Amino acid sequence: MKTFTAVFIKQVKDSLRNLPSLMVILIYPAVAWIMITAMGSQEDMSGFFVPVFAAMHCSFAPIMISSSILSEEKEKGTLRSLMMAGVSMVNYLISISVFVVLAAMLTGSLFLMMDHSTSSYAVTFTLAMLAGEVLSTLAGLCIGIYSKNVAAANGMAVPVGLVLALLPMLARFNDGIAKAAEYTYSGQISHLLEGGDVTAKAICVMAAYFAALWAVLIFLFKRSSME
Amino acid sequence: MNNGSVISLEHVTRSFGDRLILKSVSLNVNKGEIFGLLGPSGAGKTTIINILTGQLSCGGSAEIFGVSCGKIGGEVYRRTGAVLDNCGLYERLTCADNLRLYARIHGVAFSRIKEALALVGLDGCEGKKVKALSKGMKQRLALARAILHKPELLFLDEPTSGLDPATAAEIHSLMNDLRRDGTTVFLTTHNMDEAYRMCDRIALLSDGTIVECGEPGELCRRHCSTSELRIVAVDGEKLSIANTPENAEAVAGLIRGGRLQSIHSSEPDLGTVFLRLTGKELDK
Repeated sequence: MKTFTAVFIKQVKDSLRNLPSLMVILIYPAVAWIMITAMGSQEDMSGFFVPVFAAMHCSFAPIMISSSILSEEKEKGTLRSLMMAGVSMVNYLISISVFVVLAAMLTGSLFLMMDHSTSSYAVTFTLAMLAGEVLSTLAGLCIGIYSKNVAAANGMAVPVGLVLALLPMLARFNDGIAKAAEYTYSGQISHLLEGGDVTAKAICVMAAYFAALWAVLIFLFKRSSME
Repeated sequence: MNNGSVISLEHVTRSFGDRLILKSVSLNVNKGEIFGLLGPSGAGKTTIINILTGQLSCGGSAEIFGVSCGKIGGEVYRRTGAVLDNCGLYERLTCADNLRLYARIHGVAFSRIKEALALVGLDGCEGKKVKALSKGMKQRLALARAILHKPELLFLDEPTSGLDPATAAEIHSLMNDLRRDGTTVFLTTHNMDEAYRMCDRIALLSDGTIVECGEPGELCRRHCSTSELRIVAVDGEKLSIANTPENAEAVAGLIRGGRLQSIHSSEPDLGTVFLRLTGKELDK
């Protein structure tokens, strides 16, 4: 528990001093607020902007942040120092994951303040965001473990994050993309954030991604432990 | 493992792909000594530290405090500290925040942070961000982090590499203080002067093999029974002759003939020992 606390506190302090990380985690709530405020006098657009940007936020931000934290630690040698102080890789990954999910949830909760929906929608919204952030954090950890440095991690995380984040929005304008988006977890999260029902398909798609990302993470973890 | 040995390696091997980096390394490090692993870049020094700290697997037997290096857990890590080639510091955090992280991990009181910083000459730098520190100060901060929890065994991987002489001297002074307190130090370096002055025993590593091991002075005596005279004549000719009575007349002849520009005695050193044993320069 003390290594979890130590790494978690370190990450809070480090991220608060990391401007690019702060921008990534605040950009989508900020843009949504600006759009809603700009349109405010004409009509209430929160019902449109909030689900769109919330889906982008929970798909993109955790991937970018978790992959950059992990790859930066590898590049700077800080991860090795932690391991040599007795912090196990599992403990480290748990601390970082909890931090990323909490940070994304905290900033993601700003979307709820912009929307004026019912409390039952707030519960669905929060659970859907949580699911998206957990899945994106797993994806980010996979990229972080696989990459040797921050540049390599960003090279993978940006396109993956953008595809996952933009697909649900593009699906609104193109039926072909909409069909494809149904088979991505971000597509399903977006569907839930828009107030859609929790369907068996949504659960199956997210469960499949969860299982696949876990399998990839375990494979990459074992491979890195053997080096 | 010998009685009193803190580190024991027996026939340790390690490959990276097809490249055999460590061929069959055997050595023991006794409690309370400064042990130097001396070898040129790429000889396998850092690989040995990585094996000893449980970061790499290996063939043969590698033990630290009697525990196989493949099974090192929190208890052994609490008894060791390390300063690696890469400082591994969080650049955006302050010196104190960097040490607080490790104080929490090791369960050390925060009051020890000030002590550790003072020991390495960084008193008053608690609030300074690491990215604002010079290379020498970062190395000293890494040393403060390594000794924060008062480890019994300290790994120092090229601790003075690239540092100015004054900072290197401060680190040497701290190593002597640690030895006096009973800390065992495992030092890797390619600096023969550092190894000669600081280490109780050294091992010479070349191409993944220990070619010699013992006290530095004893190794020099064993492998270099005679010293040499290096002479530069007025016409620029460079001569190297054995410092023996038989050559006295030749040297005197140069002086009498007015041909001598400079003369220096060349004492046997670890570089010479290494050259004789491996045919390679140590500093390369």
